[in-house]
Amino acid sequence: MTRLLGSAHIETLAREESVRGVLVRTVIKQSEFADEQELQLLEDALQLLLKRFQAMDGEAS
Amino acid sequence: MILRSIELESFGRFRGQTVEFRRGLNLVIGPNEAGKSTIAEAVPAVLFGTDRLERFKPWGRNVCSASLFFEGRGHTVEVKRNLLTDDVELVEKDDLYHVRSQFSGKAPFRGRSASCREYRELLEKLIGVADERLFRATYFFGHHPQSWSGDELALKLRTLVSGTAEADYAEILDTLLEEHFQLTRSSPWGRDKQRDREYETVCQQLSEQGDEGAVPVFVEIDNPARDDSQVALDEEISALTGELEFERQEYEKGQRYIERFRQQADINEEKFEPPAKVESVKVEPVKVEPVKEERPGTKKTLAEKLTAAGLPPSLTPQLPEVLSAAAEIRQELAALQQPFSILHGREKKIPQIPWMVIGCLLVLFVTLSAVAFWQPFFKTPLLTVVGVCSVALLAWASWRQINRNKMLEQCRKERGLLEQKKGVAQQRQAELSERCDALGLPSSAVDLVRLQKLVMTHRTLLDQYWSATDSDDPGDGTGAEVVDREPSSRDATESVVEKDLLKDDEAPEELRQLEARLADFAANLQEKETRLQLLQAQLKSSMPSPGAAAEAAPGVASQQGPLVQEISVKSAISPLQKRKNDLEDRIVVLRKSINLLADAVDEFSRSHLVTLNAEAGKMFGKITGGRYTEIKLDENMAPSIQVDGRRWTPVDHFSRGTVDAIYLALRMALAKVRDDGRSLPLMFDDPFVHLDQKRLAKTLNLVDLASADGQLILFSHNLDLGKRAARERWHVVPLDGDAVNTTPDEGGEHAGQLHLL
Repeated sequence: MTRLLGSAHIETLAREESVRGVLVRTVIKQSEFADEQELQLLEDALQLLLKRFQAMDGEAS
Repeated sequence: MILRSIELESFGRFRGQTVEFRRGLNLVIGPNEAGKSTIAEAVPAVLFGTDRLERFKPWGRNVCSASLFFEGRGHTVEVKRNLLTDDVELVEKDDLYHVRSQFSGKAPFRGRSASCREYRELLEKLIGVADERLFRATYFFGHHPQSWSGDELALKLRTLVSGTAEADYAEILDTLLEEHFQLTRSSPWGRDKQRDREYETVCQQLSEQGDEGAVPVFVEIDNPARDDSQVALDEEISALTGELEFERQEYEKGQRYIERFRQQADINEEKFEPPAKVESVKVEPVKVEPVKEERPGTKKTLAEKLTAAGLPPSLTPQLPEVLSAAAEIRQELAALQQPFSILHGREKKIPQIPWMVIGCLLVLFVTLSAVAFWQPFFKTPLLTVVGVCSVALLAWASWRQINRNKMLEQCRKERGLLEQKKGVAQQRQAELSERCDALGLPSSAVDLVRLQKLVMTHRTLLDQYWSATDSDDPGDGTGAEVVDREPSSRDATESVVEKDLLKDDEAPEELRQLEARLADFAANLQEKETRLQLLQAQLKSSMPSPGAAAEAAPGVASQQGPLVQEISVKSAISPLQKRKNDLEDRIVVLRKSINLLADAVDEFSRSHLVTLNAEAGKMFGKITGGRYTEIKLDENMAPSIQVDGRRWTPVDHFSRGTVDAIYLALRMALAKVRDDGRSLPLMFDDPFVHLDQKRLAKTLNLVDLASADGQLILFSHNLDLGKRAARERWHVVPLDGDAVNTTPDEGGEHAGQLHLL
């Protein structure tokens, strides 16, 4: 299964100096010690938040 | 963004004059009464309006207006205000002088109308500041500099420092929370909601189905240990048991409280008896202690804690309703933003008609026709081809234009509908603002969100107070918390609790209300008891012995084999159960998202605050010659200075000169840290009056450096500064007390310095 965490997109986002960057870095950090179930939860949460961020950026532009 | 010019059409002592500025350091110099402060004050007055109109209105004239002209990266912003009528015209243009955005309407100083909000939103978007207090605290430094104290200001400052639209993230959080509480009433961040939501309803239905025994039997065969529904049952039972235990204690407290209430009010009414159905709650009869003297120390402590938390000693009972209405309106407005942005995107995607290209082609065709007309060969075919092409081109262009008009019209209609909805929401918001004003509450969305948090703090403090008093004094009347925890009357009761806490004029009505609420509470308790018994019976019936299980489903267990058993189990997972599982998954994801986002926003703000502290500390160190090098801003943005490398001392403990120096350093550091292209110029109106010579020299060096990347406008009467300006080639605007002489272009770049020579 393709993982969101570890993808190039996420690595790019993690380098951002923004709330989104901090968020992605936090998730990556937490995922290092997470079991499979928790990893899935983190991915789902991150995906949900990234979608909301995208919607917010859409509004701003 | 730099301030290019201020046009004082009729403002203070100025009439029809323009003051121009440049990038870098600008010095407005002149004696007292020359109009320096008037020019400085023109900026906030034009941007935000003023409540001191008399100061700026020219004597004997019935007009008072001024304009500001800002220049940023790739755009210009012009703001013109008539201070008498508060009519504002704001126009943003791009490099090619195309209008990007504009506003025209009334925007008074403390206005709350829709047009005022629209203006402030535009101001926020263009210059990052839409609040006069925030402007004065960050870009302005007058004789009495605005300090950074105050919760409301602190919140805005934190947002400004982090450079993020914190409100946007708050909106995302709001929508996530809203979604969460649409699914479940349970809240891991505070008190649970009152009404059951979908998850609770599904659980309830599942437990009712489970009572029939169909689902558990199949599951029992498949997995003799435990299945999901049993685990859920077990969890519900344990949760309910804990809840009941707690509520029984609360009920006892309630009884004691009412007893004490009655004694205090000296009401000789019939003693309150709990309703008969409460007997099954098994509440032990409580011995009512004689009322003791109230301990003023404890109350005082609570009152102090409330004041320290920024709360009034008594909250209005309408507050929860107002807060919930505000949240609702906020969410409504947030929900409207997305359709607006989609519509905007659609409008942008509507293709333009290339009239220029079409025109050129037509000219080409005409030229070709002329050439064809004069040349002897293929005259007719060429003319025909050119004619057909021209007609086809025009037909195509017209068709496209018609389509475009149709699409634009549709977008306009949809926008109109959205605007209408937005207008209704804004109208409700305005009404709410008025209500807030009437109740003495702040009305901005940020304040109301903050207030919601404060109300939670308030509740916690009250809880702590009551639990502390209860443990010390059983007859101290902590039972109000019973009523307080009773869902249907929680919020309203808190004000009753406070009344009891802070004044002793309880009315018999209140006593009756409390008794009624306690009775309701007891009934609720009784219902929960019954439900607990029901659940226990259900669990027992769903866990038969292995033999009983085989007996219950002999056909399944012994005759049809494991495959059929499995199919039966799968079919036993009802849609309800599936829905419950889905809801649980969604709730868990939502909770995780909310926690992650809240932490990320917090950490992001903190990291920027650390940068600001470091930058301000460096600047402050330069001003004080290395005496103090560390500044720390707390959560409320109140600065402290580290003394002797050890203890932190609040800035109020220092001399006026040091306080001025620290706020100067903070303003310059903020301008440096916050570099999002929307920063306004720093405006310092005689900021050095309290600095000694040594600090003044160092501050001037710092100011000179700080202005290198942006713009700083210094207003001063100090002639020494004028001499330095001539040396350093600052841009000088001389004021002579009679007229302003501010046309640098007339005499070349250094005209401003000439008067000094």
